[in-house]
Amino acid sequence: MIICDNVSFAYEPERPVLQNLSFHVERGETVGLIGANGAGKSTVMKILLGLLPCDGRVLVDGTEVKKATLGNIRRKLGFVLQNADHQMFMPTVFEDMLFGPMNYGATRAEAEARADAALEQLGITALKHRQNHRLSGGEKRMAAIATILAMEPEAVLMDEPSAALDPFNRRLVIQTIRGMTQTKLIASHDLDLILETCSRVILLSGGKKAAEGAAGDILRDRTLLEAHRLELPLCLAGYPNANDP
Amino acid sequence: MHMADALLAPAVAATMYAASGVAAGWSVRQLRREDEPQQLPTMAVASALVFAGQMINYTIPGTGSSGHLCGGMLLSALLGPQAGFLSMIAVLTIQCLFFADGGLMALGANIWNMAFYGCFVGYYLLWRPILRSKRNISMPRKIIAASLLGCVLTLQLGAFSVVLETTLSGITELPFGAFLALMQPIHLAIGLVEGAVTAAVLVFVYRSRPELLRDVDAADGTGTRSVRATLIILATLVVFVGGGLSLLASSNPDGLEWSLFGNEEAGYSANMGLDEDDYGVASNAAETAAAVQEATAILPDYAFAGSDSPAGTTVSGLVGSVMVAALAALICLVGRTLREKKAAKHSA
Amino acid sequence: MNRAEQALRELHEMDVLAAGSSPVHALCPAAKFFTTVLYIVLVVSFGKYDLAGLVPMALFPVLLFQCSGIPMGTCFHKLRFMLPLVLTVGLFNPFFDRAPYLMLGGLTVSGGVVSMVTLLLKGTLCLTASFLLMATTRIDALCAALRKLHVPGRFLTLLLLTYRYVGVLTEEAAVMSDAYALRAPGQRGVHHRAWGPFLGQLLLRSMDRAEELYAAMRLRGYHSHFHYALAAPCTVRDAAYLIVCAAAFLLLRFVPVSELLGGLLVR
Repeated sequence: MIICDNVSFAYEPERPVLQNLSFHVERGETVGLIGANGAGKSTVMKILLGLLPCDGRVLVDGTEVKKATLGNIRRKLGFVLQNADHQMFMPTVFEDMLFGPMNYGATRAEAEARADAALEQLGITALKHRQNHRLSGGEKRMAAIATILAMEPEAVLMDEPSAALDPFNRRLVIQTIRGMTQTKLIASHDLDLILETCSRVILLSGGKKAAEGAAGDILRDRTLLEAHRLELPLCLAGYPNANDP
Repeated sequence: MHMADALLAPAVAATMYAASGVAAGWSVRQLRREDEPQQLPTMAVASALVFAGQMINYTIPGTGSSGHLCGGMLLSALLGPQAGFLSMIAVLTIQCLFFADGGLMALGANIWNMAFYGCFVGYYLLWRPILRSKRNISMPRKIIAASLLGCVLTLQLGAFSVVLETTLSGITELPFGAFLALMQPIHLAIGLVEGAVTAAVLVFVYRSRPELLRDVDAADGTGTRSVRATLIILATLVVFVGGGLSLLASSNPDGLEWSLFGNEEAGYSANMGLDEDDYGVASNAAETAAAVQEATAILPDYAFAGSDSPAGTTVSGLVGSVMVAALAALICLVGRTLREKKAAKHSA
Repeated sequence: MNRAEQALRELHEMDVLAAGSSPVHALCPAAKFFTTVLYIVLVVSFGKYDLAGLVPMALFPVLLFQCSGIPMGTCFHKLRFMLPLVLTVGLFNPFFDRAPYLMLGGLTVSGGVVSMVTLLLKGTLCLTASFLLMATTRIDALCAALRKLHVPGRFLTLLLLTYRYVGVLTEEAAVMSDAYALRAPGQRGVHHRAWGPFLGQLLLRSMDRAEELYAAMRLRGYHSHFHYALAAPCTVRDAAYLIVCAAAFLLLRFVPVSELLGGLLVR
């Protein structure tokens, strides 16, 4: 579904953000993109969506990402931003949900049906006519996901889906992600969330791929994680230092 | 509509600095008297918002182009004229310093053209009277009318000032009337778009948090039905009136020019009648500018060399310029070589 | 990359340049400020046909570029907005002012052409000088210097706070524009239906942010005025820089250097 082939990117030539990155995401798969702050996770997302130009080749569903194909590609990829406030600018949740589908050619009736279905799927029909700037953090996150699901994308990219959520809302988001059938690429350093939702993991460090493999293997490799400024997921680490010899 | 340094004579630029400086000084004093410490962070965030808002492109319906937001009206509606004026100065200063929009010397003129009219004229002449009027019109409509008219007026005054300042500086050979006929209609269109964008934003704010806006009585009726109709009617009105005026100006530029500059023996002041009535303070500035310009040694037309300069001097000037350019190139070359050597030493 | 992101990158670029180190960076802001202002005033004061007199003034930015190590390309990239405007105004001169000014062999150059080129050069030089000031001076240092020159403290505080929040809000605008573009293919800007809400939401959030900011400031003891970082004291070196530059500018302004130089070759 998504193929990244030898991709490099730099704002300034002397300071590359991504270097010769290659990876792929199969259709229906859920892949985690992990790495410390500044490792290049968000940049990868932006490149997949064609928001940043890059060297190398990016294919989405067999189509190369370039100016002429952007419309098609963005129709297939939904992007849930880290900050829901940046994503939703219409006055109410429902109007915001209609915005995307109608821009991609759906009629109002179709868009409303899709929006209702997405609200139903996430169990947040109560938020339908709420004002966006009056939602709580957890409600905003769920509404932002609903906004993207209403576009019926084939793949969903998520940037830090659990950032700044309380345990209950974080659990809700994890269950929502597990319930979504689309191809998913999730960038996060909440490794517990990655462990619960992803089958495969790509570890980025300093703009390069440091490791790739089954989530269970990589997320258990303490030496590898700590070498790249990460820690074992809490559920595997147990109490602090419990695994120390 | 930013003025550039090169389009202004020092005397004109200094006059505009003085005018803007007086308005700014007065505003700072007003704020100090109010002494609301909360005001400052609010102003800073609002000016940053205007800056960011001007980076967003708004598609103009029915055309392929896009317009932007009018900062002056938005800021004075949110903060009041004095605070709005200072915030707008902050925006213009940052644009000038970091983005080379305008220039250091033209900043005074730019503040006058873009901040003063929007914040003071727009607020006192339109925003406050319209919003406080007792007529039974719904608040959103009042807001739309005030922002649309305010932006159009602001931009017309601003464009007029640009033309006046440039002409007084003796920069362009374009006759005053023709320049005016070129500028006013363009800025009528821009003013309409900016007004519509500003109105849309302010109406949204009114519906969500009316307490953020100045002179708004939140208890007032919220007839929301035909905002679009109001917008269309007003826009049509403005196009007709403004278009008519522009047509008048362009069909009879000489007349307009004469009224301002034509009879030079009589001096500017006698001929500034039209300007004085309609544009108040601007004409004072213009008069002073003209007077100062005549008095100072640094004049735009200082070297009206032209045809009477001996050809020999001009040619030697040309040759000399080429020599200077060669010198500049040499400096660059030496500088680069030195830096490369330093870098090489560093890496060795 | 959308416009907001572009602006953000330019801001960042200026920050990086101003944080550099060079003999020019080390000068005190006030000296640089006055030198720049004097330079701009003198450049603009040249007569509209006095191209030959103006050209030597270009030596100042050229020297400054070399001494400070600031890349010229960054500067010329910034001129892309203002120069076309100056050109638009100047473009009319060749049409209205056709009096021959200079004969070069068989070629007659009209006064309008000369004045247009002069105007463009003036525009470039002035903007370059302002750019060099900001590329070698940090804004807080400049504000501290301006405070010493009795610019009202309230205004400078406003300027610094605005500068801080321009970065934050422009980034929000950039992300929002991207998020918008992803859901609205083929639109060149924000659709008119979303004009109000798009910026309005940002505005509402910003006002909340201002309240938070104020609370944070108050919690740390803020009451209506700021304490500025101490302005770097001006030394003999700074004074010497100012005096030498001023003397050189005045010399170039009032002595026709080009003509004298050219006179050595042409009789």
